[in-house]
Amino acid sequence: MRGALTAAASFALVAALAGQTPDSGTIAGQVKLTSRVRGTPLPSNVYQPRSIANHDAIVIPEIKNVVVYLKGVKFKGALSPSRPEIRQEHESFVPRVVAVTKGSTIEFPNADPFFHNVFSLSSAATFDLGRYPMGREKSVTLNTPGLVKVYCHIHSQMSASILVLDHPYFAMPALDGTFTMPNVPAGTYTIVGWHERIGERVTTVQVTRGATSSVDIALPVEDFQ
Amino acid sequence: MIFPHRRPPGLLLRTVTVTFVSAAALLAVIFVAVMLSVSKQVRNTAQADLESSQRTFAAIQLREQRSMRLQATNVAESPTLKAAVDTYAAESRTSTAFVQAQLLNTIREELTKVADRVEADAIVVVDGARHTLAAAGPMAAAWPVGHSVPLVTDPQAVAADSIAHIGDVTFRVVAVPLMVSDGAAVGSLYLATSLDRRFAQELGEFAHTQIAVVTTGQVVASTMSPEGAREFEKTVPLLEANAGTLDLQGESNAYRRLFSVGDTAFYALTSIDDAARAAVRQTTSTLLLIAIGAIALALVASIWIAHRLSKPIKSLSCSLHRMATSRQFDAKLPLTGSSLELDTLTETFNALMASVAAAEAETQAAYTAAIRALATALDARDPYTAGHSERVSVLSVAIGRTLNLSEDDLEVVRLGALLHDIGKIGVPDDVLRKPGALTPSEYDTIKQHTVLGARILRTVPFLSRHVAIVELHHERPDGNGYPHGLVGDDIPLAARIVHVADAYDAMTNARAYRPGRPSHDALSELWNASGTEFHAEVVGALARALPVTTIIAPKEAVAEACVA
Repeated sequence: MRGALTAAASFALVAALAGQTPDSGTIAGQVKLTSRVRGTPLPSNVYQPRSIANHDAIVIPEIKNVVVYLKGVKFKGALSPSRPEIRQEHESFVPRVVAVTKGSTIEFPNADPFFHNVFSLSSAATFDLGRYPMGREKSVTLNTPGLVKVYCHIHSQMSASILVLDHPYFAMPALDGTFTMPNVPAGTYTIVGWHERIGERVTTVQVTRGATSSVDIALPVEDFQ
Repeated sequence: MIFPHRRPPGLLLRTVTVTFVSAAALLAVIFVAVMLSVSKQVRNTAQADLESSQRTFAAIQLREQRSMRLQATNVAESPTLKAAVDTYAAESRTSTAFVQAQLLNTIREELTKVADRVEADAIVVVDGARHTLAAAGPMAAAWPVGHSVPLVTDPQAVAADSIAHIGDVTFRVVAVPLMVSDGAAVGSLYLATSLDRRFAQELGEFAHTQIAVVTTGQVVASTMSPEGAREFEKTVPLLEANAGTLDLQGESNAYRRLFSVGDTAFYALTSIDDAARAAVRQTTSTLLLIAIGAIALALVASIWIAHRLSKPIKSLSCSLHRMATSRQFDAKLPLTGSSLELDTLTETFNALMASVAAAEAETQAAYTAAIRALATALDARDPYTAGHSERVSVLSVAIGRTLNLSEDDLEVVRLGALLHDIGKIGVPDDVLRKPGALTPSEYDTIKQHTVLGARILRTVPFLSRHVAIVELHHERPDGNGYPHGLVGDDIPLAARIVHVADAYDAMTNARAYRPGRPSHDALSELWNASGTEFHAEVVGALARALPVTTIIAPKEAVAEACVA
């Protein structure tokens, strides 16, 4: 059974403050998944998805499907694009959740000995990379902020989410749920803890200069149906 | 013809009636017994039929649900569908109306493509909150986009079966989740079947029973008449068992709950009375055929028996009738050998007849004796003719025997000869005993004795055969005899014999006017007159018979005749 990750570790004050700008502080905290990760309740137990017998698939801890980010932030500076990779391996996208700044390019290498496809219907980036075999890789550059969901047209159960942000204030929690978001200008922010299936939890955080603000985020949110 | 009493019915009619009545009674009893057994059997059969229907239905439902699930699962594996649903869910608040419409259209397109190929009235995709995203199929209109439809699921049921009520339409829904990424569901796909009259009819045709679909106490679909459905609706809450009988519109019905989904139950009903009527009709026709056969057989048998019985009775009564008309009472009735009773009756009757015949013979003997006494008295009027009748009688019998007459004829000759001159009772003594020659008128008077004698004999029935002897014993072959002057063969043999015997006796016996002549004289005179006055063969017979008869003394013959 997955989910119910209740990391008991106390949050650590990460004092890696080197190179920090004078007007900024750090947000640190922990994300707790308090309940079973679930989507729509299954109407029955009879449905056997055809890809379920995938024993070789890499089990990704649910905490790795969480992104913590600030909402409604106007960032003036230049964004440094990244080039993360989403592999197609054992009929799944690994990792399943990626957060990038806009302008970043996502690589999609095929590690399976059969064809895969990558496409998206999302309004932030609608594309279809076509079908390609093992060893090939295709990439897509995402220039519009928003959530881009990608799927494989060959394997219907494969999906991945790419959160494209127009600022660098986001973090992905470590396995114990802890995260650190350095160099956040002082001020009051709306901070979002988002899980690709469960949804998001929104709270506010006060960032003071040179200090570390602590935020705990519990998922799922109560009103999620 | 008027009968004083009603004639009793014939043996045949009686036998046939008895046979018919008993056969009919027996058949009636059999009919009632068979009918009772048939209706009981029909009741049991109806229940057994429904039970087997239920089993079949269970199996078929299982298969059908599996097939529906398979279809749904296949449709739910469409990557486009999943991507569209998932993307729509992710962007429902962020993207533009145009993009959302595009996504919904994509989903609907996917559904429309397969709608014709799945066995459902509507194929529907709902999101995680069960709001309809898109629907296709003939009844898609019942699933408007954006509305949430609650599904009623039987908590005990393991199948993906549930019921959805939309307005007054009830759907049976097979739901499968749309899954992405390691078992996470982004929505559901429904295959919805409308539970309407057509659905019930399809089930009914398959099961050969009435079908009623009842949801929350209401009949939503049925193959029954609207009145029957309403009445069944009222009865449903009272049903305790899953199977049994109930009365609908005055008819007994067997019912059985086939299966249920959520709040909806499927009932099969079959009319016991209908089945009983059919069975009774069939049994009746079979029994009728048997009855006709049995009665026909019984009739044939009874006619045969009656015939066997009545035929000997008829022959017996015919024999009796013949006996009565011929007055031959001494004849014995033949034994029919058909039955002991009838033979006993015949024997008894024969014994009775024997005694009647004895009485009759006694009567005859009494008559004969009386007449003979008369004849003897007549002979005694004239001393010359005393014993004449007896002698003529004996002589005539002797002649007749010589001529090979039968015993019966000899008997007639004997008595006829004895009475041949009975008519002389009406001839006056002075004419009869006149010693001299007779005047012609006297001779005519004498001649009258033949006619007179015949008249006397005709009054006695059993002497009818002797009349000819008395009347014609003076006729001659040449036609010169009296009273009628008959010629040759017209004269009966018995009369000829008596004629010859009379003449012979007259010649051989003395008369007042002459002495008796010797036998050979008389014979030669008879010979001389043969052919004219007498018949030659009779005279010959006399000649042959004489040596015997002449020995018989006249006195003895008289005595003997009296005793007889």
